[in-house]
Formats: sequence, C-alpha cells, structure tokens
Amino acid sequence: MRAEIVQQPAVKDERWTHGLLAAQNLDGGWGYREGQDSAIEPTSWALLAISEMGREHSLDREKRAGASFLGRNQLSNGSWPTVPKDRAGSWVTSLACLALQGLGGWAPQVDAGLHWLARNWPGEGGFWWCLRHRLFGQPQLVVQDHRLRGWGWTSGTSSWVEPTAYALLALRAARGSTSFLARVDHRCRLAQAMLCNRMCAGGGWNCGNPVVYGAAGHPLLSSTCWALLSLGEFMDQADVRRCVTESLDWLERSYSQSPGPGSLALGALCLKAFRRAPPTVGPALSELYERNRFLGQVPVLAWASLAVQSVPRWLRPAIPAST
Amino acid sequence: MSYAVPSIKPSFQRPPSRVAIQRAASYEANLAAIISETLAEFRLDLKGRSVLLKPNFVGADPQCVMNTHPSVVAAAREAFLRAGAATVVVGEGPALERDTEGILEAIHLREYLGSLDGAFVDLNVDNVWPVALRTRASSVKRLYLPASVLRADCVVSLPKLKTHHWAGVTLSLKNMFGIVPGHCYGWPKNLLHWAGISKSILDLNSTVRPDFAIVDGIVGMEGNGPTQGQPKAAGLLVMGDDPVAVDATCARIMGLIPERVEYLRRAGILLGNLSEKKIEQIGESIASVSQPFAMVREFEFLRANGRITEPRSV
Repeated sequence: MRAEIVQQPAVKDERWTHGLLAAQNLDGGWGYREGQDSAIEPTSWALLAISEMGREHSLDREKRAGASFLGRNQLSNGSWPTVPKDRAGSWVTSLACLALQGLGGWAPQVDAGLHWLARNWPGEGGFWWCLRHRLFGQPQLVVQDHRLRGWGWTSGTSSWVEPTAYALLALRAARGSTSFLARVDHRCRLAQAMLCNRMCAGGGWNCGNPVVYGAAGHPLLSSTCWALLSLGEFMDQADVRRCVTESLDWLERSYSQSPGPGSLALGALCLKAFRRAPPTVGPALSELYERNRFLGQVPVLAWASLAVQSVPRWLRPAIPAST
Repeated sequence: MSYAVPSIKPSFQRPPSRVAIQRAASYEANLAAIISETLAEFRLDLKGRSVLLKPNFVGADPQCVMNTHPSVVAAAREAFLRAGAATVVVGEGPALERDTEGILEAIHLREYLGSLDGAFVDLNVDNVWPVALRTRASSVKRLYLPASVLRADCVVSLPKLKTHHWAGVTLSLKNMFGIVPGHCYGWPKNLLHWAGISKSILDLNSTVRPDFAIVDGIVGMEGNGPTQGQPKAAGLLVMGDDPVAVDATCARIMGLIPERVEYLRRAGILLGNLSEKKIEQIGESIASVSQPFAMVREFEFLRANGRITEPRSV
C-alpha cells in the first residue's frame, strides 16, 4: 500500500522542519528520535538538512549548537564515535565532516576527521588477509575483487557500499580546501573501483554483496542512492558512467515502488541530482508522514527535507557536458 | 532485566527442557489460541511484566517468506497480553536494509498491530548501553545493545524456520543478531561476521538469552536462505523456554543433526539442552512433522545422511 506519487510542484511540509527542530536536545545534538540521547549521525543529518533550509528559517542558533555538539565529541585521533560514550572512531566520521564543512569555522576539526578517514583502512584486502583468504576461503561463495577496498562501518572490518559512499562524499566536499587530498586520490580511485565492482547485475547496489552462492543479490534503494551520489565525482570515466547510467535506470524503474519514506526521499534526491527529473515526492512523503510519522526518525525527517529542496552542492555530480 | 537473568550452567547440571510442536495449517488459523495454550503449559510469570517480541524482519517481502509473518507477531502479542503482560512491544533491527519503515509497510505490520506508534521500536536506532559479554568465544568483549531490549522483563525470540547460507540454519538464537544496533555496527552488522558468526551467536545469547522462543514454521524457507531460498510449507509453530532446545528441535524437524550446526553445538555446552534425551516434546512428535529442508551444497553435511565435511571458514 504505497503512497501515490504525482507530478506536482515541490511541496515543503513544514511539519518535517518543526519535527527536526523539536527533536534537538539541550546539548545541541539530535537523537535518532525525539527524546533520545544525542548521537553523531542524526546530528549530522539534521545539520545538513537545516543548512539547506531557505531564508524563511533563521536557524543560526540551532546550527551553532549542533556544530558545537559535534566538536565536543570528536575523538583525539580526529574521528567520531557513533555515540558520545564510545571511544572508537567509526563510519559517522564522514557525516560529521560533511555537516561541519557546510557550516564554516570548523576547518581544523574537519581536517583531522578527513585525515583519520584517509588512514582508516578496512580489514580485508591486506597481504595476510589475502593469503588466508586464498588458502582457506571459499571463493565461490562471493564474487568480488577483495583488492578493491573502500571503507567499513567499524574499524578493521570489511568494506561496504554505504560507508564507502559517505567517505567519498566527505573527501570530495573538502577537495580544494585542504592540501592533503591529492595524496588520497589513489584511495578514492580504489573505492570508486570497489563500488563499480560491487554493483548488482542490471544496476543498483545492495549493502555490498552482488552475488552470494551464485545467486544475484537484489539492489536496495538507499545503498543505490548513496553509491550513485558518491560516484558523481568520477563521471569523466567511461566505466563509471556505464555503472551510473545502468543504476539510474534501475532507480528510475524502482524507486516509486518504495513503501518507505527514507528510500523514497533518497530516490527523489538522487534522481534530481542526476537531472533525471523525478516526479515530485512531497505529497507522497506527506502521506507517509501522516501514517507513521516516519517512526519519529530524525535521519528520515532530514532526508525528506533535503528531497524537497534544491540539490545541495555537496551532492551535485560532476556531469560532463557531453552526457 | 532480561540480560541479568540467565545463569550459565554446563549441560550435565541442567534439568530437561520442554519444547512444544504445534500444527498450524495456515496464517489464518487461530494462532493466538495456539500460543496462549502453550504459554499456559509453560507457566511463565508474566503478570505486570514488560515483554519485547523480537521477530525476524529481513526485507520488504510482501509474501513474508523471509520474514516472520505479521499474523504470528500479532498473535504472540495478543497471547502475552492475555497472559498478564503489562506491555508488549515489537522490536527489530533489520540487518541489511536501513529503511525499516519500508519493510514494515511492505509486510503490512500496521494492519496487524493497529498502529506502530508505541507498538514497534526500531532496534537499529534505539538508545544504547554498553554491555560486557558474558562469554568470550569471539574476539568481541562488549557490545552496545538497545535500551528497549535491556529494559524488557521478558525477551521473546520470534524467528522464521529458515536455512542460512553462512550459519546453516537461522532460528531463535541467530535471530538475536537483530538486536545489535545498526547505527553502531552497520548494515549488515559486519562486526559479528568478522568475529565469527557461530561464536558471536554464543556470546550474544549468553548475554541476552531469550526467555521464550516461538518459531514461525507455518511457511519456512529452504535452500539459499535467509533471503534467497524457496518457501517451504511446514505448517508448524515450535515453542519453548529453552531457545537451544527449540532450535535443536527445529533442526531435527528440518532433517538436520543439530550437533553438526556449529553454533548449536557451542550453545548446547553452556546455554541450553541440545540432546534429544534432555528435551521433552509437547504436542506433536518430531517424527510426525519432520520434513527435509533443501540445503546449499556447503551445508549438506548437516543432514542426517550427509558427509561430515565442514566448510572452511571464510
């Protein structure tokens, strides 16, 4: 029973804005739901969303408080943990960097976060891992090139599509503003190749296993959207353009079938970023909000808010004029 | 708190366990009555308690071949409320898909529960507390776990009767992977795979052992489970207060030898009864309902007539 998507002008649902703002905690951060403890990921998404809100909203105080929460919870090695009480750097480092980059005044923190990202390799693909995998692994179970490495959800585990995409977006957003990025160019190319290698047959991505036991994996909307948006930087390469085109075609065919607001919002945002002119999703999202209030989830509120606004600069792909 | 309750005893010190095998021909059957009758047999003290039902919701599959059917979830909720529970909440943290609401809408959970508001908690994004694991089979020493699970007086595992291409089978113990929060460990919860699936299942269940298990075997999954297998109509609900005994019974129903499933063998040492001699069957006998499930080639050795050649670890 999915909400119907219709061709209408963009609809901004003020309830999402109010929902986002109401969920900000006194410590400046956001929890995953209103009333929950503040965490890095929802704070980052909320900041990214309210940074794109138009002039009708003066949200400087909220942005300052949110950025300050992120600044306070950065670890000494430059990374961010998923929750403030933890001491291990994680995938949310990319999102915190993206959120702070957009606010200005946080360059040292962003620089430290990006340096940590550049140093943080996943567990697979190293010499000993490859040797063990070759001697004891079952290569027929999964079909992917383990030499191509991106980023994992937690330190020292495998590369997956979404954390790799977030890291590429964070590094791309900083390009030109920090000097060390030229040195991580090779790392970014490796991650881009990993994403292309992990694409499902027929386009789209799931969490990162396109084939298991000989069976083709089904793509998922949110993983596909983030992979596509992160590959926007590499559109000058023919193999990337092929992956992107095939996956955008899949996304165009599939996203309106999504029964969930998170996937619907990200699908619309992604198609808009690649100028595929998606139908307006505002009314469909409003209907879903009416139904379950997005389960009260701050990241979904933020994605819905982003989906009905202009595509943020940090998500715009570099599409060559000839395509 | 549920996670503080279980005492880890070696198998020779444990009393026998009871497992109920009940026939349920379809999801239209009076499942609440079947579950209520079984709960009465087990005499759980549920008066005024908070109950968390942990189903297995893996993906947006409207046919619910890969997911615990919502009619089983709704029936369990009704049965636990009838038995005196003060609150019954459904909690799940899907392993592969971030869009939890999309899964819930695809399987029409709202239509079975009335409203999701207050009735469902997404364990992937719940508040978390750090918890030291009670066993150290894997390299993981502690995990952040959802407050909704740790606060519940009674945790009920509600898995699907399925094969699993990494673990052999996925039943009430493996189902507990879903309580591990995605926002801390990702989609999938790769830390647990990296630390070893079987060892992680033991560590997790030694820390948060389900107080009761209800396995949805009305339509299970065989072959390349947990998501790409084929439906297998078994027409059963398997229930009990020892999740190891419940899983062992399910494995036997599937035509497998539970002692050959690595995580069950480990769990049988510390967490519950694995041996058929220490499990009293209520309702149907295993022999009367047993039907072989198709397995991927690497797990053929789990079968009663399969070669004992375990797959190499990845």
